[in-house]
Amino acid sequence: MTIDVYWRIGMEGDHASLRTPRRYNRGNAGGYGPGNIAPAIREGALDQYSYLDHVAAVAKASESAGFLGGLLPSFPVTDDPWAVAAALAAETTTYRFMVAFQPGFLHPVQAARMSASLQRATGGRLVYNIISGGGGPAQLWWGDKVSHDDRYARTSEFLDVLRGVWDGEPFDHDGRFFATEGAALPPGLAGQPFPEVYFSGSSGAAVAAAGRHADYYLSWLAPYADLRAKFDGVRRNAEITGRTPKFAVRIDIVARHTEEAAWAEIEKGWAFVDRDAANRAAQGDSVGAARITGWVPETITGYRDLEVQPNVWCGFSLIRGGPAFGLVGSYEQVAQRLDELIDLGVDAFILAGNPHLEEAYRVGEEVLPLLGRSRLTTPSTDSVLATAR
Amino acid sequence: MTEFVWRLPSRGDGRRADPGLRGRGGFGPPAPPLETTDVRAGRFGPFDDLAQIVDAAELNGFDGVLAPYDPLGEESWIVAAAALRATRYTRVTVEFQPAFGTPVYAAKISATLQRHSAGRLNWRLAVDTDDAEARTRGDRVTGDERYDRAAEFLTVARGVWNENEVGAAGFAGTGFDYAGRHYDVIDGGFRGILSGLPFPAVHLSGTSSAALALSAAHGDVHLFAEQTAGIAAAVTELGERAAAESRRVRVGLELPIIARETEDEAWARVHRQWDELDRPGTAADHALGDGRWAGFDAFGYDQPIGLVGSYEQVAQQLSAYRAAGVQTFVLSGHPNIEEIHRAGEHLLFLADPAGRTLTTGQELIA
Repeated sequence: MTIDVYWRIGMEGDHASLRTPRRYNRGNAGGYGPGNIAPAIREGALDQYSYLDHVAAVAKASESAGFLGGLLPSFPVTDDPWAVAAALAAETTTYRFMVAFQPGFLHPVQAARMSASLQRATGGRLVYNIISGGGGPAQLWWGDKVSHDDRYARTSEFLDVLRGVWDGEPFDHDGRFFATEGAALPPGLAGQPFPEVYFSGSSGAAVAAAGRHADYYLSWLAPYADLRAKFDGVRRNAEITGRTPKFAVRIDIVARHTEEAAWAEIEKGWAFVDRDAANRAAQGDSVGAARITGWVPETITGYRDLEVQPNVWCGFSLIRGGPAFGLVGSYEQVAQRLDELIDLGVDAFILAGNPHLEEAYRVGEEVLPLLGRSRLTTPSTDSVLATAR
Repeated sequence: MTEFVWRLPSRGDGRRADPGLRGRGGFGPPAPPLETTDVRAGRFGPFDDLAQIVDAAELNGFDGVLAPYDPLGEESWIVAAAALRATRYTRVTVEFQPAFGTPVYAAKISATLQRHSAGRLNWRLAVDTDDAEARTRGDRVTGDERYDRAAEFLTVARGVWNENEVGAAGFAGTGFDYAGRHYDVIDGGFRGILSGLPFPAVHLSGTSSAALALSAAHGDVHLFAEQTAGIAAAVTELGERAAAESRRVRVGLELPIIARETEDEAWARVHRQWDELDRPGTAADHALGDGRWAGFDAFGYDQPIGLVGSYEQVAQQLSAYRAAGVQTFVLSGHPNIEEIHRAGEHLLFLADPAGRTLTTGQELIA
């Protein structure tokens, strides 16, 4: 069994550590100032570097630390992943670009062309992270008035058209959201591998659409019993369509040489807790976001109150933007928790940590080599030594 | 200063006259098997050729490159993003059809590109594409209504774009609302890192009344293609329409060129290329008699009329266009890398000496 492990890239800037939660000093998302990098201040003026130069460094770090690639997320306040993936295609060799996008904003024929060109630019290293939108004011900001369940219907139709034109044969479609007459990728662009589809969404409509299209059904981390129930639902749904989806989980990680050291890192970030951040994330019609809000107690006496099961902590959204659940523990503990998820049926991970660059090396060097060790029955050192001699 | 832009190829490159036989960049016929050891296998991709063309344009002093909208070739946003990343000075024009997606998303991608290129992105809208191409995108808007939609597109894109920096505030916008025939936005508008950036310079084209009206109201640069009778009348009309809107629109011209050390060498190339194609008549039949040649479309160029001659002759013609009001030239030629070097080393400084030569005093210091 092979597990695909990706490392997220921060498209919104990054901070030096969780200890400084509101000080985004990598890139200019948090403004300019002393200690800022990419851009930095040199001789009293901004240097010519941009946050993209740091993003390139994270991509190369992830590549050399052993990750398959990275998720490039997309929000109204971040850089755009299509632009970043195209810009960095030539600067990496094996790194897979998992581009997050909402199907409503591009015509599927356009998305097919962009994807095929990007496959040619990277030698087939494009992966899709299809998101159907969080709803609320953010959707209207995008100029998107389509309602929750219809957004998944649109996503489904979008992927039908995108696949339909991919192989270069003329394709017709006249649907609710998209139409095409005789569209096809030109011979020069056709024949590229179709990008793997990571598909997100927790609602019934999302699960139904995922059953038809997902190579990997992607979920945020949740308490393991919840995750198991969610995956079972997806499996039941997929049986109807005859597909067997794989599962992926997006997880923030604080791993240190000891459990104490890991919690000490959380404790330092906890000093800056912003309760409002969790409430902001719960706006809109996202079913996944609403479920997580339910896990945050009304009164919290300390950060360990949010450890909902061993090493599973749901306070991340209080100390930085993004999903609530993540793993906190020693290298061995975190590897064991990941192994348990693999036993639960997970085939791929999108891991993350702040700062993205240094934590990519740490997790790549300390945690990934331990994966699967709990499942080894007999150490095979004898035979290895015999072969070596 | 006169601006020189090079049009990037979108379907490969090569020295042959027939575009279908140009194998660089992975287009054209399949490569024949080699007797020699090929170190490129699997390690050299289509974009390596494009990257070298972009690099050549940058090093040869071009002010910009154009990534054309070509449904049968490489996708222009991907080409443009890679070109911006690979250059320091070159402005990159991305050409796209307005109905490719929403104006908010076009603006969003562009804000990222502006952020990371120090504001070197231009837009060129391909409003008037052919009907069959439009139908592949499910686009049933036809005729002049396409220009009305383009006007809406640019209004929304500029509306959400904040050139002055606005502080970040979660997912909230900056109060831009729009309810049009084609687009709807509620409380849109960029904040934080997506604000405080220059809006891409908008390039448009076309000679119809609707095309000139759109440029007069929304365009920064209008690109003409040379006509047998010249472009003076259209340039005058554009100027009058823009003046009526209290605006000025820069005039550009797209020209394929074949410039050589001597006039004879340049024409020899035209005839050699023509003879490679199975075409009626001779290349000379298409000469307009004044250094302009109207057969470039036979070699796969978008424009039929371009310039052929010695470096001095072509430079003089470019200067004459400049005197007539043209401020931007979009040049093209193949094979691209070789022609870019010819233009950079022999032509641009002759055509625009003020912007591209040092004074004696500057030379001494340099």
